[in-house]
Amino acid sequence: MDETLYIWSAILGVTAATFIARSSVLLLGERLQLPPTVESALRYAPACALAAIVANDLLFTAGALDLSLHNPRWLAGGVAIIIFAATRSTIGVIVGGMVAFWLLRAWFSG
Amino acid sequence: MREMLPFGPGVFAWGLVTGVAMVKSGLSIVESLGLSLLAYAGSAQLAALPLMAVFAPLWLVTLAAIIVNLRFVVYAALLRSHLGHLSANTRLWLGYFTGDVMFARYSALLAEEPDYPHRVAYFAGGATANWIIWQVSSIIGIFAAGAIPTSWGLELAGTLALLALLIPLCRHRPAQGGVAVAVIVAVIAHDLPLRLGLLAATLAGMTAAIALERRLRSPAT
Repeated sequence: MDETLYIWSAILGVTAATFIARSSVLLLGERLQLPPTVESALRYAPACALAAIVANDLLFTAGALDLSLHNPRWLAGGVAIIIFAATRSTIGVIVGGMVAFWLLRAWFSG
Repeated sequence: MREMLPFGPGVFAWGLVTGVAMVKSGLSIVESLGLSLLAYAGSAQLAALPLMAVFAPLWLVTLAAIIVNLRFVVYAALLRSHLGHLSANTRLWLGYFTGDVMFARYSALLAEEPDYPHRVAYFAGGATANWIIWQVSSIIGIFAAGAIPTSWGLELAGTLALLALLIPLCRHRPAQGGVAVAVIVAVIAHDLPLRLGLLAATLAGMTAAIALERRLRSPAT
């Protein structure tokens, strides 16, 4: 498939996903009653999906698992978690994590 | 709308990061603008990027976006009794504009004043403010990204933004267990074709979380 066509199809797919996830329950209203197991499953799904995505981004270097000091990304992720625990600040996580990443990369690349 | 102001910087930073991350993962400026203006979903946009970068199948990209957005199904289930009297069209758009922050503020308001007369206006105003802040910051990020060297590794900021969203979801034991299982499966299943490892990890994590929730609850009942 042509690259541009692929990307625009994906953009429309993500747009549809926004509507499906956010509006479907509001539209169905009281007619839809979710069984408790389904409701639990829905509650945990985003955390699990995010964890899998973040793990893929942080723990792998060029397609291979890399938990060494030469992979600054997972170490920066650890620093970011500590920053969040201490400050509860989203901006702190992003800024602090990036600064940690730059420092770690500078230390261990030389 | 004034209620949203304390959250402005957070939303702004997030939008900025998402804008930069989109361009840094290889989307053109027009494509990034399209994704931001149409999808309006920071976490789903960021989740879709690594999949789009490897040309994962469209159904998987869409499914990943739906799964990351599933938290809004839970939000909406709680909101619907308050907004149920509105027309289907209004509900469709209110749903689309529901952000995380917006929902948190709205439920806090309803907890204090369940019969607040201007609740629809409050919701619409907050959602509009959220949308404007988000789009402006994303667009700044999209145009600023070209000036930032790739060697800065700024796409990591997108991952960190997802991490900042993930951590507060792990307040309870079952979620922690589910996340741990999801990470382990994601590592083991990393080499599955089409990025199907993400799906496997999500399902395994959900199953583990539900099992753990049952076990924690059963001694009490």
